[in-house]
Amino acid sequence: MWHITKREIYDNLNSLRFALTTVLLLALMVTNAVKHLREHPKRVQRYQDAVTESLNHLTDRANDSLYTLAQYGPGNFYKKPSPLHFCANGGEFLLPDAVEVDEPPVFMTDSEGNRLLEGIWSLSYPDANLHNKDVGPNVSQVDWAFIIGSILSLIALWFTFDAFSGEREQGTLRLMLANSIPRHTVLIGKFLGALLSISIPFALAVLVNLLLISTADTVYLTTEAWGRLGIIFALALLYTSLFVALGLLVSARVQQSAVSLMILLLMWVTLVVFMPSTLASIASSFSPAMSFDEFWKQRNPIKEDLWDKYKEGLWSSELDDSKLRAKSEFYTENAEREERWQEEQLKYRTSQVHRARAITSISPATLLQHLIESFAGTGFERHLQFAENVQRYTRQLREFVADTDRADPESLHILGVREGMSKKLVNPAAVPKFEDTLNLSKDFNTTAMELLLLTLFVLVLLSGAYLAFVRVEV
Amino acid sequence: MITTLIGRELLNNLMTFRFAAALFITLLLVVANTVVLIKDYEQRLESYNASVKTHHQEIREKQTYSAGEVEVDRPPNPLSIFNVGLDKRLGNEIWISHNYVPTLWEARMNASDNPYLNILSSIDIVFIFEVVLSLMALLFAYDALAGEREQGTLRLVLTHPIRRGHILLAKYISAMLCLLVPLLLSLLFALILLTTTTSISLEADDFLRIGGIVLTSIAYLSVFYLIGLLISAVTQRTGTALMLAMFVWGALVLVYPNLILAAIRSSDIPQAKAVSTFNQIKQVWDEFDRERKQYLATDDFPGEDPTFNINGMGFFYEHFPEDPLTLLYFYYSMMTFGELDEKFEREVPHAQNYFRFLIPSTIKTAERAWLLRKQALEDTLVRKSNMKRTLLKLSPVGMYDAATQAWAGTDLKGVRDFFNAVRQYRQTVIDYLDSKNAFASRKWFAADEGAVDWSTLPAFSFKRSGIETNAKRALPDLLLLLTVNLLLFMIIFLIFIKSEV
Repeated sequence: MWHITKREIYDNLNSLRFALTTVLLLALMVTNAVKHLREHPKRVQRYQDAVTESLNHLTDRANDSLYTLAQYGPGNFYKKPSPLHFCANGGEFLLPDAVEVDEPPVFMTDSEGNRLLEGIWSLSYPDANLHNKDVGPNVSQVDWAFIIGSILSLIALWFTFDAFSGEREQGTLRLMLANSIPRHTVLIGKFLGALLSISIPFALAVLVNLLLISTADTVYLTTEAWGRLGIIFALALLYTSLFVALGLLVSARVQQSAVSLMILLLMWVTLVVFMPSTLASIASSFSPAMSFDEFWKQRNPIKEDLWDKYKEGLWSSELDDSKLRAKSEFYTENAEREERWQEEQLKYRTSQVHRARAITSISPATLLQHLIESFAGTGFERHLQFAENVQRYTRQLREFVADTDRADPESLHILGVREGMSKKLVNPAAVPKFEDTLNLSKDFNTTAMELLLLTLFVLVLLSGAYLAFVRVEV
Repeated sequence: MITTLIGRELLNNLMTFRFAAALFITLLLVVANTVVLIKDYEQRLESYNASVKTHHQEIREKQTYSAGEVEVDRPPNPLSIFNVGLDKRLGNEIWISHNYVPTLWEARMNASDNPYLNILSSIDIVFIFEVVLSLMALLFAYDALAGEREQGTLRLVLTHPIRRGHILLAKYISAMLCLLVPLLLSLLFALILLTTTTSISLEADDFLRIGGIVLTSIAYLSVFYLIGLLISAVTQRTGTALMLAMFVWGALVLVYPNLILAAIRSSDIPQAKAVSTFNQIKQVWDEFDRERKQYLATDDFPGEDPTFNINGMGFFYEHFPEDPLTLLYFYYSMMTFGELDEKFEREVPHAQNYFRFLIPSTIKTAERAWLLRKQALEDTLVRKSNMKRTLLKLSPVGMYDAATQAWAGTDLKGVRDFFNAVRQYRQTVIDYLDSKNAFASRKWFAADEGAVDWSTLPAFSFKRSGIETNAKRALPDLLLLLTVNLLLFMIIFLIFIKSEV
């Protein structure tokens, strides 16, 4: 078997396609690295500036008083750019990069502008970053996901379309099988030979790419990032073996190599180019998006209901704790409802995207795209993780405010109202800070399904190739 | 003689598996996608109609002239089904005001659907042709000469007294005829689907535009067939020819467009020129602001209060919105009251005088700023994107895309036609207000003597540019494609004439 593999590799190494493949992959990977080195520092700078600004807001408010912190909350939250952005861009430019903290609403002021009835901060999820300022041609990305998903799969077919049909045409297949080599050994030898010969130029291109990126002092890759890169490389090999198996399968069944290539190309075009987009469009038109107006209509009754609930408490003329308490409850509940409404909108939209993505998972190219995205820490799932991180942090911050207030015996413990809260100074260093983190084991969990599906595809195609080759007449 | 050759080639091509496969896959993809694309267009049309209705209602509810902010919407282009271009991407809702001259950069997306769905990729009919037809053309061509050479039939044919040029021509014509079948048939299906959809109303011009797209598609198809033929002419073996053809296809269709866009530096830092223009625009408005304050200081009313102490149910605000990236800077103010207390009656004439001065002055300053801004935007944002487009045209894919966008009217120029119409409409609105003497009237800021009657406000309407304009825009790229065709054919001819069989 090793003999066959070795022979295959030698055959391929000397061929024209090997040279062309190497050139193509190197050009793509170098462009990818150069682009990343050019853009990533800017992205990081933008993120850091934004984070510093919102941290300053937080410190200022904490310095002012516990009440200000409770009412105005922290500054906006920003999504940390992934250092592995070059692996998969994941449509990041279409996703929002922040969760915003809405300023407290003011419901009523007196003639001097004193606030009689206001509210407290709440989270809001802005719409996607629409790039309608850019009038250039439609954006396209040379990221690893594109290089592996489209180019490497094409190369895999390019290396295997004549694996059996070519040898059959030349008559060498009969010769080889005349020796006492079992057919499955031939198949595995061919499979490994093709996979290894593709891996050589790919590994070379990846090495050059990573060398360029890791030696630049503007970009820093952590150990975890290297681990993720390793996983992505393994994914690339898994995905390539899928197309190698497909090539072998078709090549074993078809008599002429030209016909075999034609079938393979048509399959490739369908699987890689058209299935992801057509299925996505079909899936998204199944469940039409709820319009903004409809969401707005759902929101209004919630608001009115709230007014009715607190009307009496808020307008009672006595100036005692119960009025403050009513105010506090009104503020908190208003913010809660606002936030819940926002979250529901996000959930609705998310479920729509998830449905569309689930349907497109029939295509291995989409599976790979999703997998690389989640390991690179970009894309839609990452965005949801970011939103979740923000939600967790806000709970933590609200608890901190409540705890600090509780620790002060002089306070009335009525949150959200100046008269009812602790007057003691807050140490800004003690306030919890938001940190946007990525979790590798969590990524594994969310992608387990897709990983299994991709492996299943490979196994099915491999056994298909085996059955086809074992039963074929030479 | 040549007809016999064509007949033979035609039969050879028609009875092959690749012809059946090409036909099947093109039909399947085009029909499936057309259905989806029509549905998408209908959704956009629906949200456009809803938005127009809302804006129409909103303006009629405004009580004063000052509060009357006119919003106009960009209708979706039905030909975006063929090539979507910029139609879906650029903003489709724009606010018109006398304070500034609007451009496409101020347009917003109307927030009617789920913006997260944009991360899923979508395609149009031209993209299908771009990928599938080019592949088909290469698959039909790679063995045209190399295959016959391998089988020895080429030598046999050449023993007859036939000119080599005729053989080439016969091969070209017959293969093109075969390739036209899937192209035209799938377009026919798409057209049937389009015309039977009631929500899409195509004008006579649209059919001519579609005709232009078909013509461009044929030229594009022919370029790839000739590339295949060239490869076939220079290689000895079909295996090598096939391999090379695939490489060229991958390089031209997949790699080059992506690579070139990624390679161009796209900076978002405003260039020095943009910064200086922005400062100039600011200066123009500062000058305006000085004059405004000067007026307030010297008028009959004491103090510099732009509200003249008028207060009541309503609001007043003024600020200078700015966006350095798109060089936007202007003065924006609004003063509008529903009811006015009688005690303000003395101040009202002062306010009227002020607005009689302020609004024409604002309009004039806006024009001055626009002259500066127009040139700078052209130099920074538009030129850069046009450079990218030009570089894309080094591959036939880029030429094809540009030409079909121009036919469909979804290219930058086509979308900008809309914004030109918007700027004209802004002038119409200003003229209308002027004719009503709105700037100096009490109704500019107060509705106590009755609300403004908006029913005579001229409505906005936008008609896509005529077919001649589309043709003029598409022609350079179409001619480029045809030139490439001619060049390739000549090269193949020369090589084939000189080659040993």
